[in-house]
Amino acid sequence: MKSFLGFLVALVATCTGSYAAEAGMPQLDPTYWASQAFWLILIFTILYISISKFYLPKIKDNLDNRENKIKEDLENASKFKKQSETKLEEYESILENAKKEVAKIMIESKKNLDNDIQSKKVLIEKEIESEIIKAQKEILDLKKNSISSIQNIAENIASKIIENLSGDKLNESSVKATVEDISKNNLGKYL
Amino acid sequence: MASNPMQQFTVHKIGPEIKIAGIDLSFTNASLFMLISATAILLFLFLGSKDKKIIPNKIQLIAELFYTFVAKMISDTAGSKAKPYFPFIFSLFMFVLFCNMVGMLPYSFTVTSHIIVTLIMALFIFIAVTIIGFVKHGFKYLSIFVPSGVPSVLLPLITIIEIISYLSRPVSLSVRLFANMMAGHTMLKVFGGFVVSLGILGGWLPLSFSVALTGLEILVAFLQAYVFAILTCIYLNDALNLHH
Repeated sequence: MKSFLGFLVALVATCTGSYAAEAGMPQLDPTYWASQAFWLILIFTILYISISKFYLPKIKDNLDNRENKIKEDLENASKFKKQSETKLEEYESILENAKKEVAKIMIESKKNLDNDIQSKKVLIEKEIESEIIKAQKEILDLKKNSISSIQNIAENIASKIIENLSGDKLNESSVKATVEDISKNNLGKYL
Repeated sequence: MASNPMQQFTVHKIGPEIKIAGIDLSFTNASLFMLISATAILLFLFLGSKDKKIIPNKIQLIAELFYTFVAKMISDTAGSKAKPYFPFIFSLFMFVLFCNMVGMLPYSFTVTSHIIVTLIMALFIFIAVTIIGFVKHGFKYLSIFVPSGVPSVLLPLITIIEIISYLSRPVSLSVRLFANMMAGHTMLKVFGGFVVSLGILGGWLPLSFSVALTGLEILVAFLQAYVFAILTCIYLNDALNLHH
């Protein structure tokens, strides 16, 4: 490795030595300086003019267009976002209102139903009561009728029994008065 | 095979000799590669701005990247006042970049490795910037040589230094680019020569160096174009916005 490096150094030395012996820097040879200056100025001027007149405005337009488009799109996006937000709010408020209405309707219908039930109940109770009263009256009537028919039957039986026992025909009115008297005294026992 | 690493920089005539008023203005290989670089730039920009697409294709994207890159460089260093000079700096950057990059192709000629080319560009920039400075600020532009906040004892010395540094701008600007390009290409050539002279056994080491150097030189080609353009911006900034 060491010998290799030594060889390399020797090579560099000989190469540079031989180069130094030949002509120096071609850059310092003035033969073509004027030509280089002339062509540089000519070509650079043409380059500058075509770049500044044609290409840079085009690229700038392009970039501006893109920027505007992006800005526009972003604006649109935010606008749509706002719109959707308001729509969402609207929707939520509608939903809220609907819920409130539902609750209201429920309460109302419940109340109505309650009232209805109450009134119906009252009506039915009244009806039942009147029916009861009617039935009671009927019963009473029946009782009264039954009492008078019992009295009649009792009178008939009593006069028949007396007729059969004594063979006499009793005064009908006296029998009636007696039965009436007995039934009056004993009526409380049966009714 | 050319064994002299400096031979790649020789300028030779192509075609007939053109002489105007006794001055030799012949078309040379340097002119040819200037023309090739300029044509490549124009072709690139043409393809890059041909389809005005909202979603750019690759070449349009690259052209737009160059545009925004240079635009940002100018606005960062010289502010919004430098906008009218954007086309010039863009052209300058593209020209130097393409000349450097075309020079990286084998058997090509590096236009920017010649001091006369870089010096003319640097002198043009220097003179233009000086004229802009005087047009914008009149004789107040001379205050660039008198920095503020310097003790009055040091002021004469500082002013002299400032004047020297101002006057050496074209030299430093041109020599930086020229020397970088020349040194890089000479190195590449020297290592290329080693590959041949060391043969199949020993040539691998300089070959790997050559490969690495090629990468480095491509970086330098871009970097020097960038430095050239950004220094132009900085000089322009001095002329447009008098800070002192």
